[in-house]
Amino acid sequence: MNYQISPLGVVIAAAFAIAMGSLLWWMLKLPPYIPAAAAKARRGVGALRNILVPTVGLPCSERGIEMACRLGQEQKATIHLIYVIEVSRTLPLDAPMPEIEPIAKDALKRAEEIVTLRGLTPVSEIRRARIAGEEIIRVAKDIEADIIVMGIRTSISMTEHIIGRTSEIVMRRAPCEVLIDKLPGE
Amino acid sequence: MDRTEDSTTKQVELRRDVTVWGSFMWGYADVGADIYAALGLVMAAAQGATNLAFAMAGMVYIMIGLAYTELASAYPVAGGGQYFTMRGLGDFWGFLTGSALLLDYTIDIALFSVASAGYINFFMPHIFGFGPEHFNITIGPLKNINPLWCAESLILIAFLIWLNIKGMRESSLFNEIIGAVDILTESSIIIIGFLFAWKPELLAHQWRFEFPTLSNFMYGSSLAIISFVGLESISQAAQETRRPATIIPRTSITLIFTVFIFATAFSTLGLGILPWQSFRENMGDPVALLAHNIPIIGIIAGPFAAILGATILLISANSGVMSASRLTYSMSRFHLISNWFDAVHPKFRTPVRTILIFSMIGVVQTILSFLTPSAMDTLGNMYAFGATTGYTLVFIALIRLRITDPYTPRPYKMPLNIKMNLRGKRIDFPVLGIIGMLGVSTILFEVILTHKIGRIAGPSWVILCLIYYAWYRRKQGLPVFKSAHREWENEQIAVLTSAEEYDLVEEYKIALADRDKKVKHEKQ
Repeated sequence: MNYQISPLGVVIAAAFAIAMGSLLWWMLKLPPYIPAAAAKARRGVGALRNILVPTVGLPCSERGIEMACRLGQEQKATIHLIYVIEVSRTLPLDAPMPEIEPIAKDALKRAEEIVTLRGLTPVSEIRRARIAGEEIIRVAKDIEADIIVMGIRTSISMTEHIIGRTSEIVMRRAPCEVLIDKLPGE
Repeated sequence: MDRTEDSTTKQVELRRDVTVWGSFMWGYADVGADIYAALGLVMAAAQGATNLAFAMAGMVYIMIGLAYTELASAYPVAGGGQYFTMRGLGDFWGFLTGSALLLDYTIDIALFSVASAGYINFFMPHIFGFGPEHFNITIGPLKNINPLWCAESLILIAFLIWLNIKGMRESSLFNEIIGAVDILTESSIIIIGFLFAWKPELLAHQWRFEFPTLSNFMYGSSLAIISFVGLESISQAAQETRRPATIIPRTSITLIFTVFIFATAFSTLGLGILPWQSFRENMGDPVALLAHNIPIIGIIAGPFAAILGATILLISANSGVMSASRLTYSMSRFHLISNWFDAVHPKFRTPVRTILIFSMIGVVQTILSFLTPSAMDTLGNMYAFGATTGYTLVFIALIRLRITDPYTPRPYKMPLNIKMNLRGKRIDFPVLGIIGMLGVSTILFEVILTHKIGRIAGPSWVILCLIYYAWYRRKQGLPVFKSAHREWENEQIAVLTSAEEYDLVEEYKIALADRDKKVKHEKQ
């Protein structure tokens, strides 16, 4: 049987081999397989759309805000910032508190800056309550929060409880997940 | 336990870890065989423009394939086109698609058994000195009836019936090896053929002087669609694979493009090596004929391609028997047909009634097709009707599901989408879906216009099925044109959970919760 070689035939044969080879190579080179449990956990983080962060204006609270932003960054979560002013039972709830209100506003302003810097949307609010922990839980229910993130103090003395009263109430009664952020003690 | 629960349990049991290669070969064993049967048929019709016919049908097929990839990864259940249409358009249209696909599966059994026998006959002239046409007879007005080829095909169908009733499982390893050998053989034929035997001047001559009439070209391009049929295997693989969202889009896209490249390469190679008339005269074994005419490897490649063609076509015919059983199971699960079909044999535990009924329809089709001037052409003619009808409805369902069910996570989406807000819903409108629907409807129009047998036999089959459907639904007290009430959201969660797609389950639940919240706010 006679054979003849044509340049166009060579080009088509090469194109065919390259196309088939690359197609099969692409198919067989699967992205790294994510185990089911890891996939579930990863999706769990992605599901956090409403993140509630209480702040008291301390560096530990602001670290908590930063942590919340990192958790919500990929899915563009809404970060709800609240500053709860605890009002003594000896005063009406709406009693003017000129010395604490500017501090609260200032704390929320700094918190908003952190959130905006991360490209997320902050929603901030000053609340008044008898017990801060109970108010945080109320807000979490109102906004249907997916998680509450709280930064707590770095150094805790031997006689103090590891977490404060507010954190404890929130952890006990929160309607959603709670994340307590604490750096190692100095 | 109700039937839905029962089927969910079954899905859990069925799913297993399938390798990428295994998943790819699952589809390839089905679709990859089509070119062995289609090449001769399309050459006889589209003549010098065969490669153009394959390319045009192939473009439509790529869009159909992408639609199936999207739907199968979003709804990984075995019902395939019938299930997608039922979800998107309701019970009536789901049944209509199911009946068109059932027609295809019965023809699949007949056509691929006939084609497999055709490749076995490649050896006849070499062994006996004469071909199967030596036995041709004439009965009254019916000329060129080939009783030998017909008998061979019927023996193959009988073998498949026996195999499936006994429940001998086709080894997945066997499929993987045969598929790999087939890809290597086809690639070798194409590469060596283009390197040493392809004459561009012959191709140019056939393009210029042997270009078909418009009617022939339309007939050829609509027949070319049969070289791409078998995409339902994508849904079947999706249903039985754990975490299908990772594997299915990749293997399906590779399958779609591999088959497209092979079809266009074979037709271009064929027109550059032999005149199209040679393929018309050897409609039973066109790939073996082509391989035999390639220098250096031809003496071995011809017989080898014939053995391979006969084997892979028989596997494809067998997939027709299995697919018909799976489809009737899915249809009876949703009360579109009676569950009488699902009865399993007490000893062999196989759906004996479905296997027998649909294989016997394949037997009748085979016998009747041999009474026509060309059995292969007649069967191909009807095959194209079922496929294009089913695919047109699948495209409509895809578009509708994007609008009515944007909440189901889609691990793969057809490209070219326009984001828009429709009645408060954020949807991705599929532009390629519209183009695909127009493309496949055009082929359906060509089929109705040019397929003398398909345009009568195809709709007759569908009408017969619809009469049965109306009778069955009335008997069951279910609406004929409307849909029965179904808990699609619970079903979707159950399907995704059984597929171990936990991340998709969560994504789906979040989307549904967001929708409910929005509805609640609007009411307030």
